[in-house]
Amino acid sequence: MKVKVLSILFPRNTGAGHFWWHAVASWTWDAQDETCGICRMAFDGCCPDCKLPGDDCPLIWGACNHAFHLHCILKWVTSQTSQAHCPMCRREWQFKE
Amino acid sequence: MPKTQTSFPSSLPQATSSSSTPASSVFNLEVLDSLTDSDIQRLLHAYSAFCSSTDSLLLLSGIPSASPSPSLEFADSVHVLCSHRLRSFVVDHFLRSLQDAFEGNCSSKFWRSFEAYRDFPPLEDRSPSIDEASLEQLLCEALDEISAKKQHQEQCLSVLVSALESCDDQVLEGKHDFDTESKLLFSKYQLMVHSVLLASLPRHFYDILHWYFKRRLEEISAMMDDDCSGKDSMDLDESAVFSLESGDMDIDGEQRGKSLDGRWVTNIGKVVRDLRSLGFLSMTEDAYASAIFMLLNAKVNELAGDDFRCSILGAIKRWIQAVPLQLLHSLHSYLGDTPSYDTTSNVKSPLSSKSFSCYPGDRPLSQGIIIWKLRLEYFAYEVVQDLRIDKLFEIIVDYPESSPAIEDLKQCLEYTGQHSKLVQSFISSLRYRLLTAGASTNDILHQYVSTIKALRTIDRTGIFLEEVGEPIREYLRGRKDTIKCIVTMLTDGASGSANGSVNAGDSLLEELNRDEEGQEKADLEDGFNSDDKQAWASAMCWEPDPAEADPLKGSRNQRKVDILGMIVGIIGSKDQLVNEYRVILAEKLLNKTDYDIDPDIRTLELLKIHFGEGIMQKCEIMLNDLIDSKRTNSNIRASMNKASQPSVALENAEISSDVVDATIISSNFWPPIQDEEFNVPEPVDRMLTEYASRYTEVKTPRKLLWKKTVGTVKLELQFNDREIQLTVTPMQAAIIMQFQDQKSWSSKDLATAIGVPVDVLDRRINFWISKGILAESVEPKSSERAYTILEAAADAGTSGVNNDSGEEFVAGDEEEDGTVASVEDQLRKEMTVYEKYITGMLRNFGRMTLERIHNTLKMFCIADPIYDKSPHQLQLFLSGLISEEKLELTGEVYSLRKQDG
Repeated sequence: MKVKVLSILFPRNTGAGHFWWHAVASWTWDAQDETCGICRMAFDGCCPDCKLPGDDCPLIWGACNHAFHLHCILKWVTSQTSQAHCPMCRREWQFKE
Repeated sequence: MPKTQTSFPSSLPQATSSSSTPASSVFNLEVLDSLTDSDIQRLLHAYSAFCSSTDSLLLLSGIPSASPSPSLEFADSVHVLCSHRLRSFVVDHFLRSLQDAFEGNCSSKFWRSFEAYRDFPPLEDRSPSIDEASLEQLLCEALDEISAKKQHQEQCLSVLVSALESCDDQVLEGKHDFDTESKLLFSKYQLMVHSVLLASLPRHFYDILHWYFKRRLEEISAMMDDDCSGKDSMDLDESAVFSLESGDMDIDGEQRGKSLDGRWVTNIGKVVRDLRSLGFLSMTEDAYASAIFMLLNAKVNELAGDDFRCSILGAIKRWIQAVPLQLLHSLHSYLGDTPSYDTTSNVKSPLSSKSFSCYPGDRPLSQGIIIWKLRLEYFAYEVVQDLRIDKLFEIIVDYPESSPAIEDLKQCLEYTGQHSKLVQSFISSLRYRLLTAGASTNDILHQYVSTIKALRTIDRTGIFLEEVGEPIREYLRGRKDTIKCIVTMLTDGASGSANGSVNAGDSLLEELNRDEEGQEKADLEDGFNSDDKQAWASAMCWEPDPAEADPLKGSRNQRKVDILGMIVGIIGSKDQLVNEYRVILAEKLLNKTDYDIDPDIRTLELLKIHFGEGIMQKCEIMLNDLIDSKRTNSNIRASMNKASQPSVALENAEISSDVVDATIISSNFWPPIQDEEFNVPEPVDRMLTEYASRYTEVKTPRKLLWKKTVGTVKLELQFNDREIQLTVTPMQAAIIMQFQDQKSWSSKDLATAIGVPVDVLDRRINFWISKGILAESVEPKSSERAYTILEAAADAGTSGVNNDSGEEFVAGDEEEDGTVASVEDQLRKEMTVYEKYITGMLRNFGRMTLERIHNTLKMFCIADPIYDKSPHQLQLFLSGLISEEKLELTGEVYSLRKQDG
C-alpha cells in the first residue's frame, strides 16, 4: 500500500470568509494588583457605578504606578478639597502619562 | 278469545252466593232488627239476583266485543239493596267480584304469556338469541288483551255506577255527590288492578320492558342517523344551546323533515298507554328512562372514543335532541297530554327535575320534556366528563391538538362542578404514569407545561392547577437535572432533550413573549386604573373566588396563571435558574464561531423582563463580550492583514492571517472555564501570539489570556482520495495536526508533543479513532499504544464518514464534560471553604442532623465567606463528603467517619 501524504490545510482560499481556528481568550488589565484599592472590586470587573467591564470602565494609572478604576479615582480626586493624593501611597496624585 | 272461558273459575258464583247470607247478617246487625220477614225475603231475593247478574255481567269480560248491557234485574236488585242501606255492601261485593275476575282471568294469563321469557337476561348482556319480533308482538298482544279486558270491566263498573245513580235519584235525592263517588269507585278499581298486577309481577317483566324501549330507541336512533348524516353540525349545536338557555323548546323545528313514522309512534304509544292504564306508569317510565340513559351512555362512549381532536358535546346534544327527546315528544303528543307552554316555573332548577309526578295529566308536556332534556344533558355532561377525566392524561399529552376535548371537559365541568374529581383522578394518574423513575425530566416538564396550559383553559383562576401542579413540582424538585432541563427549554428546547421536542421549547419562549405582552397590558391597565370610571368598571366585574379556593393562597389577582412563574416555582429561587442559564449560555456562546447572538439577546431581554435586570447582569455582560469580540476581532484582523500581506504571503503561502478568530471574554463574569494546558500547534501558536499582541495594541493596557482548550476548529483533512471537513475542539485539532508530518506516533511521544498527560490524550484521541481516521495498535513488546493515520477510505472502513462528517457539527464533547464548569462543580468549589467548619463542628458535637449543621453554619459563618447556601445545596455537598469517606450518614444524622487505626 502506498502511503499518501496527509496535509491539513488552513484555508485554501482566504477570501471565502471561513475562519478556521476559533480561539477563546479572556482579557485582563495588565496591572500588578487584582482589585481596585478604592472600590475593592476586581479590575477585570467594573466599578460599582458601571455595568459593563472593559472599555466602559477603564483603569487609570497614577504616577506612583498604582492603578484604579478611572471612575473611582476621579470620584476620589474631585472629592478632595486640596491636592488629591493616591489612596494607596499618599503621594500626590498625578495621572500617568 | 273463547278459551278464556274455560279458565274462568267456575266455583266463583257458588262461593259468593253461599257465603252471602252470613255475610249480610254480620255486616248489617242493627238493620236486621228492624226487618220484617218479607223484607228479608225481598232482600235475599234481590241479593241473589244481584250476585247472579254480577257474575253474568263479568262473565262476558272474556269477550272483548260484547259490551255489558245493564239488565233490568241487576238494576232492580241494586235498587232494593241500596234502599236497605246495603249500598256499600253492593259496591264492595261488586269490586271483589271484579278483582276475583281480574285475578283469575286477566292478570294470571297476562303474566303467563311472558312465562317463556322467564330467563330473560338482565339488562346489559343481551344475547341476540331472543326472537325479538315475536317477543315484541307478544308484548303488544298481551297488553292489548289485558287492556281490552280491563276496559270491559270498567264498563261493568260504569253499569254499576249508573245503577247506583238511578237508585240515588229515587231514594236519596241529592244526598250524595255522585261524581265524586263514581270517581272514587273508578280509582278504587284502578288501584285494585294495579295491586293485583304488582302482587303477581314477575321479575323479568321489567327487563322485557327495558328491552322493548331500548329496541325502539335504537330504531329511532338508526333512523335519525340516516337523516342527520348530511346536516351541518354547527348550526344544530348552536340552536340546541340556545333552546336550552331560553327554555324554549325547539322540538318542532327539529322535527321538520325527519318526523317519526306515524304508525311507529302509534305502536309504541299504544304500548305505553296500555302500560299506564294498568298502573305501570312509574315502571314504564323507569324502563324507558333507563333505556334512554343506557343508550345515551353507549352513544357518548361511542362518540367520545380516543380521538381528542374534535368536540363531541355538540354531537351528543344533537343526538339527545333527535333521538330520546323526539321519542318522548311523540309519546307525549300521542298520549294526548295537552301541551302547556307555562314553562317558566320549574325550568330553572335542572337538578331537582328528576322526580316525576305520579299521575298522568298533572304534567305539562313542554315542561316535562324540558326537564327530560336537562336531565339527559346533565347525564351526558357527566358521562363525557368522566370519560375525559379518565383520559385527561392522554389528552394533555397531545395538548395543543386535543384542545377540543379540553373545551368539552370545561363545558361539562361548568355544569357538573366536579372539579375535585378531576384533580384527584388526574393526580393519581400523574403519580402512576408520569412521576416515575422511567420518565425523563424533559418529558415531565413538557407534560407540566401542557398541563398548565390545558388546565388554564378549564379554570381561569388556577386553583385546580395549583393542586394538580403540586405533586409534579414536588417530584421535579427531587430531580437533579430539573434546572438544566428547564433552562434548555427556555433557551432552545431542541438540544436538551433526547427526543428533541422543539415545540415545547418554542412554546416556553413563546410564553416569555406572551408574558411580556401581558405585562405591558397590565401596566397600561394600572395606569388607567386611577381613572375613577375604570376603577368602577373593574370593581363591577369582580368575581368571588371559587369555593374551592384556598384562602391562604391569596386572591385571584396574585394567582395569575403564569407558566414561567410556575416553572420557576419548581426550583424555588430564580437565582438557581439564572445560574444554570448562565452556564448553559456560556457553553453555547463559547461554541459559537459566527458571533451571531441575536436569538440569545432576545431570550435575555425576555428573561430580564421576567426576572429583573440585576440578576441577569452577568449574562448581559457575556453577550456584550460577544458583541465586543466581533468588533475587536474584525479590527485586529484588518490590522493583521494590512501588516502581514507583503511579507507573510510569501513566507507562509498556506497559512494566512485570518485563520484565527477569537472570542474575548470578561472572565470575571463568566462561569469558571475548565482549562487544560496543552501545546497548540506551532503555526497556530504563532498566530495566537500575534493576535494577542495586536489586541494589546488596540486595547492597551489590556492583554489576552488564551483559554487553549476552549474554542472551535474547522479543518479539512486532505487525503489523496478524499477530503474531510470537520469541526473539532482545539485539542483534537492539535492531535491530528501532529500526524501531518509523522504518520505514526506512540502514545507517550504524542502526549509529550502535545503537552498533556497520556491518559488525557488517550481519551481525546478516541474521537479520531471513532471517525476512522486514526487507528490504534498495541505494540506487543512494550505494550505501549501507538496511533497511525489511515490514509485511504477503504482502510478506514467507514465509507459513510465522508458524506456525514462534512456537515456534522462535532462539538467533541462526547467524552468531555463541557468546557464550562457545571453548577455542581462550582458549588463544590464554593463549599470546600466550609468543610473545615463542618468537620470541626462534628468533632465537637459528635452527631448532627442536616438542619442543625445548616443552622450552625448560618449562625457562625457570617463573616467572609458568608454562608448563603440552601439546605439542599449543603446536602449535596455533604453527600460528596460521604463519598469521599470523610463523613458518615446514619439515618438522618451525620457524623465523622472513624479513622482507621
